[in-house]
Amino acid sequence: MSGELASGFTIVAGSQISLALAISALLFVIGLVGFLCRRNMIIMFLCTELMFQGAALAMIAFARMRMDVSGQVFVIFILTVAAAEAALALGLVVLLYRRRETLSSDAWSELGES
Amino acid sequence: MNLIWVSILFPLVAAVVIAVGPSKSARWVAFFGTLVSLGALTIFAWNFPAWHNAQHFPSDVGPSWIKDAGTTLSVGFDTVSLLLALLTAFLMPLCILGSFSAITERTKEYYAWFLVLGSSIILAFAARDAILFYIGYEFTLVPMTLIIAIYGGSERRVAATKMFLYTFLGSMFMLAALLYLGWEHRLVSGAWDFDIDTLTKTAIRLPSAIQYWLFAALMVGFAVKIPLFPLHTWLPLAHDQAPTAGSVILASAMLKLGTYGNYRFALPMAPAGGAELMSLVAVLAIIAIIYASLICWVQTDAKKLIAYSSVAHLGLCMLGLFALNPVGAEGAVFYMVNHGLSTGALFLCIGMFYERYHTKDTDVLGGLAKRMPVWSSFMVLFTLSSIGLPGLNGFVGEFLCLGGTFISEHDGLTGYPGVLGPWYAVVAGLGLIFAAMYLLILLGKIVWGVYREPPHISSSTSHGGEATRLPRDLCLREIVILTPLAVACVWLGLQPKPMLDAIAPCAEKMLANYPKEIERHMSHTSAAPLASNDQEPVNELRSE
Amino acid sequence: MTAAGSIPQAVIAPELAWVGLAILLPLLSAILCALCAALRVKSKLPALITTVALAGSCFVIVKAYFAYSGPVEVPIFQWITFEWGDGKFQSFTADCALYIDSLTLYWMLFVTGLGTLITIYASEYMEEDCGKGYSRFFFGMSIFLFSMGALVMGDNLVMLYLGWEGVGLASYLLVGYYYERPSAVEAAKKAFIMNRIGDLGLALGIFMLWCNYGTLQYGELFAAMKDGGQTSVDWDLSVIPFLLMIGAFGKSAQIPLFTWLPDAMEGPTPVSALIHAATMVTAGVFLIARMYPFFELHPQALATVAWVGGSTALVAATIGMAQYDFKRVFAYSTISQLGYMFLGLGVGTTFGACYHTLTHAFFKALLFLTAGAIMHGFAGQLDLRKLSGLRQMPGWRIVSWTMLVGCLWLSAFPYTAAFFSKDAILFKALTSERGDFRFLGWVGLATAGLTAYYTFRVWFRICAGPVHYEAGPESHDQSHDQSHDQSHDKGKPDPTPEGESHGAFHPHAPRWAINGVLVILAIGAVVVGFPAYGHVFAHKENWVQAMMASSSAYQGACLESDHGTGAAVHTQTVLGLDPHTGLTIVGSTASIGGILIAWYFHLYSRKSADQLRAALLRRWWIRWVPICMENRWYVDEIYLACFRLPMWIGAQILNFGDRHFLDGVLVDGLAKFPIAVGKVFRPLYSGALQSYAITMTGGVALVLAWVTWIWLRGFN
Repeated sequence: MSGELASGFTIVAGSQISLALAISALLFVIGLVGFLCRRNMIIMFLCTELMFQGAALAMIAFARMRMDVSGQVFVIFILTVAAAEAALALGLVVLLYRRRETLSSDAWSELGES
Repeated sequence: MNLIWVSILFPLVAAVVIAVGPSKSARWVAFFGTLVSLGALTIFAWNFPAWHNAQHFPSDVGPSWIKDAGTTLSVGFDTVSLLLALLTAFLMPLCILGSFSAITERTKEYYAWFLVLGSSIILAFAARDAILFYIGYEFTLVPMTLIIAIYGGSERRVAATKMFLYTFLGSMFMLAALLYLGWEHRLVSGAWDFDIDTLTKTAIRLPSAIQYWLFAALMVGFAVKIPLFPLHTWLPLAHDQAPTAGSVILASAMLKLGTYGNYRFALPMAPAGGAELMSLVAVLAIIAIIYASLICWVQTDAKKLIAYSSVAHLGLCMLGLFALNPVGAEGAVFYMVNHGLSTGALFLCIGMFYERYHTKDTDVLGGLAKRMPVWSSFMVLFTLSSIGLPGLNGFVGEFLCLGGTFISEHDGLTGYPGVLGPWYAVVAGLGLIFAAMYLLILLGKIVWGVYREPPHISSSTSHGGEATRLPRDLCLREIVILTPLAVACVWLGLQPKPMLDAIAPCAEKMLANYPKEIERHMSHTSAAPLASNDQEPVNELRSE
Repeated sequence: MTAAGSIPQAVIAPELAWVGLAILLPLLSAILCALCAALRVKSKLPALITTVALAGSCFVIVKAYFAYSGPVEVPIFQWITFEWGDGKFQSFTADCALYIDSLTLYWMLFVTGLGTLITIYASEYMEEDCGKGYSRFFFGMSIFLFSMGALVMGDNLVMLYLGWEGVGLASYLLVGYYYERPSAVEAAKKAFIMNRIGDLGLALGIFMLWCNYGTLQYGELFAAMKDGGQTSVDWDLSVIPFLLMIGAFGKSAQIPLFTWLPDAMEGPTPVSALIHAATMVTAGVFLIARMYPFFELHPQALATVAWVGGSTALVAATIGMAQYDFKRVFAYSTISQLGYMFLGLGVGTTFGACYHTLTHAFFKALLFLTAGAIMHGFAGQLDLRKLSGLRQMPGWRIVSWTMLVGCLWLSAFPYTAAFFSKDAILFKALTSERGDFRFLGWVGLATAGLTAYYTFRVWFRICAGPVHYEAGPESHDQSHDQSHDQSHDKGKPDPTPEGESHGAFHPHAPRWAINGVLVILAIGAVVVGFPAYGHVFAHKENWVQAMMASSSAYQGACLESDHGTGAAVHTQTVLGLDPHTGLTIVGSTASIGGILIAWYFHLYSRKSADQLRAALLRRWWIRWVPICMENRWYVDEIYLACFRLPMWIGAQILNFGDRHFLDGVLVDGLAKFPIAVGKVFRPLYSGALQSYAITMTGGVALVLAWVTWIWLRGFN
């Protein structure tokens, strides 16, 4: 890949990357706010997934900008790990639900110091 | 080199075998493991080519470990580290034997951790890479903490926690100093390197003011381990609570890591700092001698007494090291080995009567000479060795340490000027009188006199605990434990020459930079010592 | 101080290594005795082994004496030796080697000879302990002879130090032999620790010598001495004699370190005779004689020795006068006689000091052994008020008459050996140029009178007078006297101390081993007078003088009290007479006068002694004298109050401070700091999941803000 072509793409992508980053930030903030405000563990879990995707989107955007595939590689990794993690986390949530008959995260505060 | 790794790794393999094997065979596997370790080191020492030239053998750099960080798996001994490693390997099987009747519950874990402990101590002595040394040095804490916390006395948790946190905190300073040196080396040569010799070469080129802080940081780390006077309070508690074998290894091998650290790191790496801080350390050492001796005098707990006596004895050892002349340095290194033998043996002796009477209180137990004549003979011998009776091992080190302190004068004719001198030796010599006092008082209470036993002992023996299986006097196993120690004590007392000859070149190598530094330091003392160094660091850069 | 010659240069003679057997044999015997103890030998085998070994050692020394032609150094093996350069002060050498000169041989002759005799005596004395402590006892004796050999024959001061502490160890083990007696344990400990104080002085003296001369071997030291040393430390080299004399004072029980010796009488009597009377306690004299040239490094060093010796002689004699335990009387007389020896060394006659050491070794060993025989026969009776008229009891004649010999010698009766040896010391003192030495000479003469009095007080009380005795504290003790008195004791429920027990208690008289040794020692006490007799009556050269003159102590060896020849002209007179005649008259008067006073108070009219004491106690202005004498001038109590008690209180404070301040406040206090910080942030950890998330978000926001701020500032 020649340097000129690459630099050309960067210039063109300049406006696009801010768009992509804005979307990524939006996704992240939605996830964050959701995680902070909701008590339902499944929703909270979904919100963490949203934040993940926000980060992943940013990475893809930067990868595209720099014409470096390692960003995309990371995203693929993240997706895979997120999938595995989702299986595990949902299993955990089901388990926790069985114990307390509720999905509220407030039911679990044993880690509290006071 | 392979033999070194055998002596380090074989106990680890044995530990794994113990962990997965049946608990009945654990102690014999452990014994075998330590014997192999001792055997490997003995063969290595037998063929050791560098007894008389202060070189490390093997001297080649080991396989790279973390390449970018410049750490390698280099192991190799010089005379001093080999002697200390041999001491450790020699004591390990004896400790395992000594634990046969003392440890009756959770034996598998005990022996496994004990083997790990021995391995890590030998690793620390063998390491030629600072990071490897640090790993061995620090990893001793884990098994030791577990041994104290699980198998110790009634306050074992507190003792173990205190020991871990205290010594760990101290060694953070040491680690920081070592990392700093590695970084300095990278600044000079462009790559990280933690080889101890390389670090030493880097360190002695540093300006005095930096060496001062380097020395201070290393010293803090090692002083906790030794332990030097104000930093010693973890030791009596740990000794008091540890099981017998744990006490033996703690006193004989682990504390030596502190003095060895001074010999290997603090003194040779930062001669300018050493020259500055020498008299401070010497004063602390002397305070340790007098202070700990006086405390020993009023101790009624036999184990605590010996623990405090370790503080006093190692104070004398440090004094000899900081006399900065070959007499003191030889004495100090000799004393490290001797202290390991005689104090270890004393702890074993105390453990033996503790197993029978379940008390260490010298006020309720006494007059054992009639009941346990064999034990009493050993006890008297080791006590005399600890007192420093000529003809036994303790004397050689003690006499040379004190003599080295005495002749450590600035305008001395030995070629090795120092800043201590006769008055230091006079005050430290009072420790000799005190040592006789408190150890003979201990003997007078527990060995001589009319037989006294604690009131609860008759009831507890009738319950049929494991103590009843022990005969009244020592059994064959216990005699087998104590005899090699007794032979070593007498032999080193009568024939110290081979060992002194072996130590001499190492002592000289350690002190190589000091005569110049002391001269310079003394010429500066008329001015403000530290301030002048700060102002002219460029002039301090010395070419090597 | 006339130098009769100089110290001959020692020759290195490896072919004389067989002399080392004199040390090796006792060591072997110690090892064999230890084996006997381990194998629980019940017979008298350990005594046999020790006797044979010591006799062999004695034979070796005699052979060496006849083969002797000049000082030799005999290298054996290298001990604490290393070097770090080629220079003079760049090596440390303390080899196992022998330095044999006439002083060494002189000392070893009586040490091994007396050692052998006393071991034979002990084989009978200790026989009740066969199978119990018998092996241990002879182990201790062997260790003692080994250490004493190393001390005397060693080639350097570190060897001397080895022997010095080794005899201390032997003393510790043997004084504490009856370890079930708390007083014996206490005495053993005290002996070792007080000796250690002296040992520190000796060790420092050794270091100081090294600093000045760069060597510790006698031969090299004496050679370097002539060149004058180089000082390499900030101490002046004149401290050397003072440091060395601290060691000598400790070992030889001089003021201020003398209180251990009377307590050391807790040991079995053969030990008291050999170690605490004849040999070990003279090690201090040996040290000073050996290092005599170095005592001139400071003009007042020898004067200090003289003053300490003279005052010790007087103080110990006054204490000895007022003791009722006759073994203690002999112990104080030992201290007093050692004081004479130090006085002799101090005023400059090594001849007198060493000759007195020799005569004292014989008569004091004899006295102790007779005391031991009496103790042994009367079940540990030591109170001289409770024994009387032994002279007339069957089986006790030899003991009584040999004791008389010992007493006559100790009181320096005219024309006994001790008369001449004491005379040599006092003569030198009284004819000295220095007024204070002449004063000390008069103190010594007065002490001689006191000595005669307290010595014969013991003899007239115990051996003369009507027959009367009481059993000692061990008569009902099964562990002692078991084999002999058991049958008699069983019929008797409990012997009351006052009620007479002639019918029940039978003292058992000593048998051949004890009697034989006593007779040999009495003959020996006569024989050691021969050098002086030969000199006085036949004008021959005095053997002792010849031995001293060719050793390191040559400077004080010249015999100035040469009666008859009249060669020496003295400026000083004794009572206006020629010093020889005057001293003979005054000395004899003191001795005979003391004996007569003792005869009056303790044989002719025993009641008057108590009346005199009561009369003294009634008068307030003189009352303190008997009280202080009987209570040993309260020296132990003063030491307790001045040293032990403050130190003990200090130690308790330190112990408390270590646990509760250093560990409790500082270390644990430091550990409480993180806990306190943790308490502040504790509410953050509520356990609610979202609160953690909020904290985390806040943290990230803060970091972001910080990074942005730096970015806006432009990375500067």
